[in-house]
Amino acid sequence: MDYIITTERLTKKYKNFISVNKVSMHIQKGSIYGFLGPNGAGKSTTMKMLLGLTSPTGGRFTVDGGHFPDDRISILKKVGSFIESPSFYANLTGRENLDIIRRILGLPESAVNDALDLVGLAEFGNRLAKKYSLGMKQRLGLAGALLGRPPILILDEPTNGLDPSGIHEIRNLIKSLPSLYDCTVLISSHMLSEIELMADDIGILNHGRLLFEGSLDELRQNAVQAGFAADNKISSANLEDMFLSMIDKDNAVRKQRAQL
Amino acid sequence: MKTLIIELRKEKRTGVIPLLLLVGILGAAYAFINFIVRKDTLLNLPLAPMDVLLTQLYGMIMVLNMFGIVVAACMVYNMEFKGTAIKKMYMLPISVPKMYLCKFFILTVLLLTAIVLQNLALLKIGISDLPKGTFEMDTLLKFTAYSFITSMPTLSFMVLVSSRSQNMWMPLGIGVAGFLSGMALAGSNVSLLLVHPFVVMLKPAVAMSAQLDNGIAIIAMAETSLLLGIGLWMAKHLRYE
Repeated sequence: MDYIITTERLTKKYKNFISVNKVSMHIQKGSIYGFLGPNGAGKSTTMKMLLGLTSPTGGRFTVDGGHFPDDRISILKKVGSFIESPSFYANLTGRENLDIIRRILGLPESAVNDALDLVGLAEFGNRLAKKYSLGMKQRLGLAGALLGRPPILILDEPTNGLDPSGIHEIRNLIKSLPSLYDCTVLISSHMLSEIELMADDIGILNHGRLLFEGSLDELRQNAVQAGFAADNKISSANLEDMFLSMIDKDNAVRKQRAQL
Repeated sequence: MKTLIIELRKEKRTGVIPLLLLVGILGAAYAFINFIVRKDTLLNLPLAPMDVLLTQLYGMIMVLNMFGIVVAACMVYNMEFKGTAIKKMYMLPISVPKMYLCKFFILTVLLLTAIVLQNLALLKIGISDLPKGTFEMDTLLKFTAYSFITSMPTLSFMVLVSSRSQNMWMPLGIGVAGFLSGMALAGSNVSLLLVHPFVVMLKPAVAMSAQLDNGIAIIAMAETSLLLGIGLWMAKHLRYE
């Protein structure tokens, strides 16, 4: 297998809790990897570690063969990212914000218009970013991640704050990216229904532990084996049940362990 | 150079550049107006004309520069924290210490421009209003350099403080506290107090002579370098969390 991102027993321990607990992930080149888990599962922390925003307390990882902090610059040149909430200079317009990123990445001027077009923000490019609506800020954040069409995209709940048509539009855009310019996408969400529509592979995280990693088909097979589907027919609702049951089961085990 | 251009572009609409230019213009205007209004009183003081020119006007100019430095340093990092733009910078292939260094450099150049504007006013006053033959160009140049060097620890300290505080009111409060405590301590001869960057900046303002104090200049340069070094180290090692 040709993996572009791998983590090996990646751990992030804070003073009184473990945010990410020995997570070993394998993300195939050219695929969309859905990172799924309830709020506080450790998805954002894992992504932050992959971007060097926070350092792991255990384990290791590689991004396209590079390691942090030695290869920070070369890794970040290849990665477009969007973490938690959109980040922007409030005193600059959307276009000026993207121009700052373009200059850092050393891209041609046309890259800004390309990114604005991709996220449907072209007509609002000259408006100050602080005057954008939440959805527009979200799109600006995405445009910043897509600028220069990087080979790796790390997107943390990118559809938060978007209206239903915006969610649909961005979802279709993300889905089309690997075929559009051969990129790899790591996308997080707490909704299986959303990930199911985009991802090739899935990782399910709960309380920092990776409960499942595999293709969507493997997850479906698991759902059949676990008895979540009648007549071997898997619907989105069945998968959602399966996901929730995995989380509940893990939570119950944790609770039991805590009582002992 | 690329990082410097990027930093300059980020300054758009922040008001940092106009602020420090305004400080320079206001300082120059103050010197002119003060000398026009109090010319006779000032020249009758028991001081050499060059000492009058350089020490009697410097107090207010220095206060303007100090507030200019405090506010500009707060603004230069506030735009990074507002909208969490700095988080995006940490995720891009840009050197964070270089970014810090460029902000420091931009503020340094702006402060120097303000000081040059103020001293051009002093030059004009010196040539046209001091008794004939008393104006000394080299003394003015030396004092300009001295006032710039002694202002740098405050600038270095304020950039460091504002780079670590997401809330702009924190560095602003620290700046005001630095000014007030500096004012209270500047008159003291205790050498240990020179670790306080605001005291170093205030020293030429409380002196009655335009003669340079090499010891203070050396301490100022050492403090500037030390605080800059700490800022760069922190920019490199402390990450966004």
